[in-house]
Amino acid sequence: MTLSPEMLLTVAADRLRTARPEMAARLDVSTPDALRDAKAAIASREVDGPADGAVVAVIGSFSLPRWVHETCRFALSVPADRAVPWRRSFTRTLFLAGRPDNLRERFAFDHIADDASSAWVGPAADRTTTALRRLLKTFSGARELSAWAPVAIAVSGPAASGAPSPPSRPHVHRDLYIATSGLTVSDMLVQVNHLLVEAVLDGLIRPADRLTLRAVPHLSGLAVPFAALRVDTDVHRPHELQAYAALTEET
Amino acid sequence: MTGGRRRVLLAPITVTPSKPLTPSHLKGLLWTDVMFRATAHLADVTYRYSHTTYHPTEQTLGFWEFLDRSHGDVDYDALSEEEVGELYVRFRAERRPLTAADVRPYAEAVERTGYVHPASARVLRLWSRHYERLGLHDPGLLARQPPGFGLEEMIRHLVAAGLGLDQRYVGGPVYLDATRHGLPLRQIVTADGRPNYLACALRELLPLAPCYDETVLLYDRELDPDYQLVERALTGTGTTVHRVPIGRVPIDGKITSARHGGWHSHTTDVLLRTLGDEYDPAALRLGMRLYFIATLGPGQRESFRYDLLRKSLARAEQLLSRARETPRVPGALPALLARHRRAHTHVDPYRLTSSLLGRSRRPPANDLLTTVFI
Repeated sequence: MTLSPEMLLTVAADRLRTARPEMAARLDVSTPDALRDAKAAIASREVDGPADGAVVAVIGSFSLPRWVHETCRFALSVPADRAVPWRRSFTRTLFLAGRPDNLRERFAFDHIADDASSAWVGPAADRTTTALRRLLKTFSGARELSAWAPVAIAVSGPAASGAPSPPSRPHVHRDLYIATSGLTVSDMLVQVNHLLVEAVLDGLIRPADRLTLRAVPHLSGLAVPFAALRVDTDVHRPHELQAYAALTEET
Repeated sequence: MTGGRRRVLLAPITVTPSKPLTPSHLKGLLWTDVMFRATAHLADVTYRYSHTTYHPTEQTLGFWEFLDRSHGDVDYDALSEEEVGELYVRFRAERRPLTAADVRPYAEAVERTGYVHPASARVLRLWSRHYERLGLHDPGLLARQPPGFGLEEMIRHLVAAGLGLDQRYVGGPVYLDATRHGLPLRQIVTADGRPNYLACALRELLPLAPCYDETVLLYDRELDPDYQLVERALTGTGTTVHRVPIGRVPIDGKITSARHGGWHSHTTDVLLRTLGDEYDPAALRLGMRLYFIATLGPGQRESFRYDLLRKSLARAEQLLSRARETPRVPGALPALLARHRRAHTHVDPYRLTSSLLGRSRRPPANDLLTTVFI
């Protein structure tokens, strides 16, 4: 599978239609600019309405493999009834800086990493996280990504979950490619988070699956079959799309 | 403890030596001075006031970098503190974003050599003269007094105590984290390593405060949220922390920061020049304390008023005259001062100074005035 502008547009448009199937016929997603306008129009219509599908992720200390692992565990714990509004809000996630070990007595988290390096609340209405958001600051990771040697993780299941167990299937191994060129840690969190949690909600990542995290400057030229692709506005060319992360088919 | 006397640390926030002393600054200095000199009769008290500690803040290093970049070699000894202050106003108006690289030469010089830019050195020397005139204890305005912890050491201590969050490795800042106590996260060091005044204060107080039974933090009332955080950071290190917020002094009903200027007829220099020749030195010292402590009080509702200051100076003359006629009662002073301590070791300057203005017909003890107020 080779990346092309047409393919990126198709992937991005499909995501929009999946999140808002009732609007699919009315949305103009013929160009990257039209796609961006369509998303902005959806967002603006909800400015005054209740946002009931946001997740707040608190980052204390960060390491990529651990964060990927815990993000999957969190997403696996999200019950189906809460996943629906989250999908409709494009798996909106707010990243905050904070120490979960300092917060766990005051706030009920839905998932806390075993080492308390990060914690999650939601998906929930914004008003339920107001106090937490007021106490903390937006996570700032302005450092540009540097490449890493491939690292493998095994996804374990959530500690306790209200989510129904998915039908069993053999455990699989996939590669997770992440573009590093021009991306800060904060940018990467946003892009990879969407890819991971949507892959979990789609059943592409399940407990005991294995992921190998691979850094590449850019995803162009990767000739591997993708099960999921994260596409967003190009950091260098605002009227074009770019692939930021990719989850391969079974390897 | 030494000989049963409690050890008390007075730790006021310093005034940045880049501008003239305003009535708000003067109020804080007089307040602290009375607290120090009164408490010294009852406890072993240290008045920690280190400009070295706070020079690494951006407002100071940035000002120095601005001066050298935009003015070059200037004979700062020829400038008044008002003229240096005008340059500071220009610096703040420039609003040029600073990076760590911009101020690195100055930051390194402060840390390694105790460097002070000649403009600030000039201001500090002028302030020393004001201190002398006002009878203020000099806690080392011109001395190099580095904080006990380096920046990294302070951050390590905070993080280890569960009170710090250091995200510089991902390009984030360092936070003081008292969220466990319901206080919001507060940035203290930027991602590129520039500390704010809280980081500087913690470098000094984290190693120093545990050596004292009681630590008194004196600061502008507007800084109360920050000092609640400092209190949390020090609580648990073995000292009892007391916060003493002091209201600023509005000028014509307005509380403005010295960074905007507009101080011209109200600087300490002007006050001393205007009143210094009219009153004898003892009356000047006592009258200033009566006005800035007892008349203005801990709040910040009353604007500065020359007429009330003069009234205080006249009252000071009367009190001094009456006190000189009272016989000295050996050993009475500590008991008199102890009445103004409330539940702590340090003496409350407001209560003590206000007691001089009571309706009692008894004149104040002369040794109280000479050792605490003049």
